[in-house]
Amino acid sequence: MAMGFGKYVAYRIINAAIILFLAVLLMSALFTKLATIQLTTQVDSEVQQWVRGYTQTHHQAPSPQLIEQYRKERMHYYGLDKPYWERTWMYTVDTLLFKWGNSIPAVFGTHNVKDQIKTALARTILLFTTSQIIIILLGLALGVKSAQKPGSLLDRTISILAMFTTSLPMWWVGMLMILLFVVYLGWLPITLYSQVQVSGWVNILKKMSLPVLTIVLVSFGGWSWIIRNIMIGTMQEDFIMVARAKGVPERKVIYGHALKAAAPPIVTMIIFAMIGSLGGAIITEIVFNWPGMGRLYWEALQLNAVRTMMALNYMFAFMTVFSMVLADILYGYLDPRVRVGAAARS
Amino acid sequence: MRWVDFKDSVKRFWSEYKHQKSGMFGLALLIILVILAVAAPIITNPNIPKEWQTGQYWVTNPKNAPPSWENYFTKTTKAPEKVFKINNMHITTKKNGSYTVYTLTFTYYMKYNVPPKDIVITGINSTSQTSSSNNSYQPPKPLKMSILVQRPPEKGVKYNDVLLLSNYPITGSAALQLSYTPQVKNLLFYWLYENGAYKLPMQLPSALPLETKVNQLVFQLQMNNTLYGYYQSADPMKILFGRITDNKGNVLPLQSIIYNTQGLKGPYKFTITVVAPPNVTANFNNFEVVMVGRTYGLLGTDQMGRPIAVGLLWGIRVALAIGISVAASTVIIGILIGVTSAYLGGWADEFIQRVTEFMMTLPVLPMLILLSLYLGGRINLSQLVGILVLFGWMGTTKVARSMALQIKEQTYIEAARALGAGTGRIVFKHIVPQLLPYAFANIALSVPGAILSEAGLSFLGLTNPNLITWGQMLNNAQSNGATINGYWWQVIPPGLAIAIVGLIFVLIGVSLDTVLNPRLKRA
Repeated sequence: MAMGFGKYVAYRIINAAIILFLAVLLMSALFTKLATIQLTTQVDSEVQQWVRGYTQTHHQAPSPQLIEQYRKERMHYYGLDKPYWERTWMYTVDTLLFKWGNSIPAVFGTHNVKDQIKTALARTILLFTTSQIIIILLGLALGVKSAQKPGSLLDRTISILAMFTTSLPMWWVGMLMILLFVVYLGWLPITLYSQVQVSGWVNILKKMSLPVLTIVLVSFGGWSWIIRNIMIGTMQEDFIMVARAKGVPERKVIYGHALKAAAPPIVTMIIFAMIGSLGGAIITEIVFNWPGMGRLYWEALQLNAVRTMMALNYMFAFMTVFSMVLADILYGYLDPRVRVGAAARS
Repeated sequence: MRWVDFKDSVKRFWSEYKHQKSGMFGLALLIILVILAVAAPIITNPNIPKEWQTGQYWVTNPKNAPPSWENYFTKTTKAPEKVFKINNMHITTKKNGSYTVYTLTFTYYMKYNVPPKDIVITGINSTSQTSSSNNSYQPPKPLKMSILVQRPPEKGVKYNDVLLLSNYPITGSAALQLSYTPQVKNLLFYWLYENGAYKLPMQLPSALPLETKVNQLVFQLQMNNTLYGYYQSADPMKILFGRITDNKGNVLPLQSIIYNTQGLKGPYKFTITVVAPPNVTANFNNFEVVMVGRTYGLLGTDQMGRPIAVGLLWGIRVALAIGISVAASTVIIGILIGVTSAYLGGWADEFIQRVTEFMMTLPVLPMLILLSLYLGGRINLSQLVGILVLFGWMGTTKVARSMALQIKEQTYIEAARALGAGTGRIVFKHIVPQLLPYAFANIALSVPGAILSEAGLSFLGLTNPNLITWGQMLNNAQSNGATINGYWWQVIPPGLAIAIVGLIFVLIGVSLDTVLNPRLKRA
């Protein structure tokens, strides 16, 4: 019994929602524990401060009952009097419904978690999504080109470049870029990368230049190589031979037949890469002092801003689930064999 | 598969792999790396991992020093490290009443524009024989050390000899760093004063003992803002090894002595006098005077004086251990799960896929950071491998499953099934062998990723500091501001090492892929 495409999509989405819920539940459990430790020490220090203040005004220490009463009050204020699982559950629901609230320490100049993420996301899109688009375009062009003539100079260059760059730490290349262009050549002022915030569009574009160069340099070789391999695999299929035998022009064979057949994995890769780029890169952003999503997470971690970390993790998880669903649906749409296979089993 | 068949296929594989130039190149480099990793304790010192974090071991090394060979590329030559051991010195022992006087002499040829950074003296042990009649415990009296340096003759200099240290008490076996000893600076300023490099508001009376005169001098320096500024920013070694007169023999102003130092090249004769109190004998067996250079060894040093080259050598071990164990475990686990999932189909497939997707949903680096915090912030090697495997198997599973699904839809599987082949036979005889090329190549190709993850976590300072890893060296460089300060030797080598190890495995992986995956070879 073949499953309809609409049913297939609905099935995928429900699946994804359940997975996302479970992931958030697990993360809430972890973060609630972290928050408990943090809040308990907070309560302890508040109680101590209160005892000191009470002793100074009343010239005598408060009785144990009074201290206990005050402690209970503070515990209630932070919600610590509720059992662990109840708090985890509430935290999960709040997170899922985007009620992220305020973080205790201020990160990126504000306590409001949504504002923090808005600022960071805008900056990350500016840097990483731009770079990713450049990488995809370069990768497609070079990959298809080198698949046409395997073993040519371009093909070998790309293979070697891909091999070399996949093993490079991106953030290290970033450090080298700063060393070369800022310290030795002096083309860009050092303050661009020693400060987090820069003002003015010109300066932001200047600050973007080195990270974009770094990201593209490290990633485009690998992309070209993967696309080359997918294309070469497709070009060896029988239908390509048939098309060539029929006398279809080579250009049409590549772009009409081969690229179309190779589309499902390539489209999946593009979706994952584009959505993945929204997450930024923690270490690269630290190296370049770029105030994006990765750096927000790192700063939140340093400041123990549990709510910011939780919201960011939710964002990351949400993006992953979303791209998985999208990829699945597109895969099913572009390659009917998969859908039929899945339907035949169910 | 029978043993003969296995041997045969290995032989066939090797005869094909032999012709892969890049693969053989990668393999040769890998063998060199393994040899270096195994030989690290012999080449350097087996105690290095223990000493890596404790600054004591590196105290005689210069901090943030560039490699020695940098001198070949620059006009100003910087002094490298030079060690004087006891057998490089002339030693005499003399009795002066109940005191013993040891005199050690040696000559240092200074032939650089920028003199050494520091002089470090280590390895004096004293043993005291306490007389049995004296019951009450008395702390042993310390040895007293004086150092006199005879500078090469310089035109217009009145006093050629510099007293660097005068009756300085030596306690314990700690290293004496002359650049950071206040008395050395005071005595050098006294010497400059005597040579007329600057004037004091009140002249020092000449009839006083040396100690009192120096005290007065320092007191007057502190009272005068300009002089005290010079005093504060002065580098003692630059005064000791620098010119204080111009070519005509006129004494230079204090400002150019301190800020625009020119090295005074020539022989410096050091006379070290150690006075031992009664019943105390000094032991000079381990005695060492180190001229701490401005450059160091093959690849320079970091901010703690640790040689970068030694760190690189020891880092190979962690990189290989983590890379290979993580890559092999993730790929094997991933493929087994993926193929099982694809073949079983139905509910089992759904369940395994949901679990895989669940794991994929968790953001990797944030979760790695969070987990390492849960494990106490500083995770060790096995925990690191565990975490990386836990978050690493899903990608392989997805690919293996989709490959297995495609294979499963092929007609020959249908034929095998129609012939009545069972699940195990189809999975292990028809599906897994198809995936083996992918598995072998993928293990090699996953190594760089694992090493990069380790480097990233170490760079964020989340791994055990007792491990010597390239990521931690880069973390060190970053916290030292190495990029901004231009300490290239702290930034380039560790990253390059990561890249080279990665490249080795990629070369091997791609060659394996070409040999084992005939579809690519035809291309």
